[in-house]
Amino acid sequence: MPIVKTQDLSYLYSTGTPFEIAAIRDVNLEIEQGELVGIIGHTGSGKSTLVQHLNGLLKPTSGKIFVDGLDIWESKQTVRDVRFKVGLCFQYPEYQLFEETVYKDISFGPKNMGLSEDEIDKKVRMAASFVGLKEEHLDKSPFDLSGGEKRRAAIAGVMAMEPKVLILDEPTSGLDPKGRDTILGMIKEYRQDTGSTVLVVSHSMEDVAKMATKVLVMNESKVAMYGTVDEIYSRSDEIIKMGLDVPQITRVFTSLAKCGVNVNPNIYTVNQGKLELAKLFKKA
Amino acid sequence: MISDITIGQYFPGNSILHKIDPRMKIVLTFAFIIIIFLCKNFYALGVMVLMLAIMVASSKISIKVILRGVKPILFIIVFTAILNIFYTDKGETWFEYKFLKITSGGVYIAIFMAIRIICLIIASSLLTYTTSPTMITDGLERLLSPLKFMKNSVHTVAMMMTIALRFIPTLIEEFEKITNAQKARGADLDSGGLIQRSKALVPIFIPLFITSFRRAYELAFAMECRCYNGGEGRTRMKQMKLTKVDFVALFFIVAMCVAVIMLNMNFTHLL
Repeated sequence: MPIVKTQDLSYLYSTGTPFEIAAIRDVNLEIEQGELVGIIGHTGSGKSTLVQHLNGLLKPTSGKIFVDGLDIWESKQTVRDVRFKVGLCFQYPEYQLFEETVYKDISFGPKNMGLSEDEIDKKVRMAASFVGLKEEHLDKSPFDLSGGEKRRAAIAGVMAMEPKVLILDEPTSGLDPKGRDTILGMIKEYRQDTGSTVLVVSHSMEDVAKMATKVLVMNESKVAMYGTVDEIYSRSDEIIKMGLDVPQITRVFTSLAKCGVNVNPNIYTVNQGKLELAKLFKKA
Repeated sequence: MISDITIGQYFPGNSILHKIDPRMKIVLTFAFIIIIFLCKNFYALGVMVLMLAIMVASSKISIKVILRGVKPILFIIVFTAILNIFYTDKGETWFEYKFLKITSGGVYIAIFMAIRIICLIIASSLLTYTTSPTMITDGLERLLSPLKFMKNSVHTVAMMMTIALRFIPTLIEEFEKITNAQKARGADLDSGGLIQRSKALVPIFIPLFITSFRRAYELAFAMECRCYNGGEGRTRMKQMKLTKVDFVALFFIVAMCVAVIMLNMNFTHLL
């Protein structure tokens, strides 16, 4: 049974005014337990709207969402439960920090779940260690942290609820390469250690290629493609036609293949590229 | 939700009402509101309603949108109407029960008041629907500029208003974003008593304030980087000029004013 399933999901903005637009239209999607899905698409393609439906923040204009087999809009209680089952971390999450200390801020989610002090403490420390925040950070004010640390503290606030599905909306935007790698590394680690499903909205094809098991391509309010990394990036022509990019290394190898060099054009990471080239030179 | 409030919203368009000079539009809107209060009977008010209907039609904004702007203050309208029904003791009595008494005069006044308030709201929201916030403040600044001795502060106030208006949608957007983020962490905003509910707003308002301050600094720096130093010697990109449309609008309002005064004199009593 898929952990997340949507059925003919549509959402219209500003119905009845001259500004009416469909943010997403007829989205049918099944995401299996334990996947790491990279969601890519233009600004305004409906990525953010889609993920806000998955934890019940937005009520669909029509269609249904099932998490763990349950219709999330069935009752008031199911909507509230789904908030803890599906943890959503927005873009620039550091702007939502508000508590006096990092510890208190991370514990906001678990507290809302109504857990005991001990359990809260355990979850806060676990989340902090996932994002690499040290003991001394926990007693600081979140506003005294550096940009990257703030971001990690905010992500820890969502991880601390131990959601079955973790969704991150552009977790690396605005960070330097080192901060980006730290965050991507910790997302990977979190998924391996907890076995949870992770959805990452991203603009960077490189990041998606490096870490995702599946890729979801959104285009013009619809799901354009959904499949494994290999399946998706082997259709790089279509992706480029949508105005999206493929990883640089893929461009290099497709161009090489077009020039008549005997290489596999479906290369998405630098590592794969290295191996492919080594093979080529061995043959030669 | 909060974004459903349409008062103060601007709908870009190309209608006659959009084309009227903002200065003229502000003055005429004020005049219209004052004339509403001059109306003494239903005939005079009828002229105003007719005029308003013409204005709405020429603005090319859908009736639905305009009615939605009235919705938030429906409570006030009903409330004043009910008060008027019970507090006026005039004309023949239609209903009596202990201290409650409904008279024909009361009902008429209640209806009269309700129409008056609705006209007031629609007229003033038409101004903001058809004029962008920058145009309104620009117009106000120009209208107040004869006050030479406080010329610079007129500019400052106008600039502050422009900025404040400009940031209302941004703040609403920010508010919704933060609310969503905290809801995603399980914040419960819709249940509990008054105290619990206001406490639940803390996680929203602290980040909102911090963001606003950050924004204010950024804006101030950006303005200084572009050498902004107040109103002195500042020229304008958009020059305002009165055109034929403005005089036609003026003519309509003056004609309406004359009609209202005449009708007031000819039918002296309210009913």
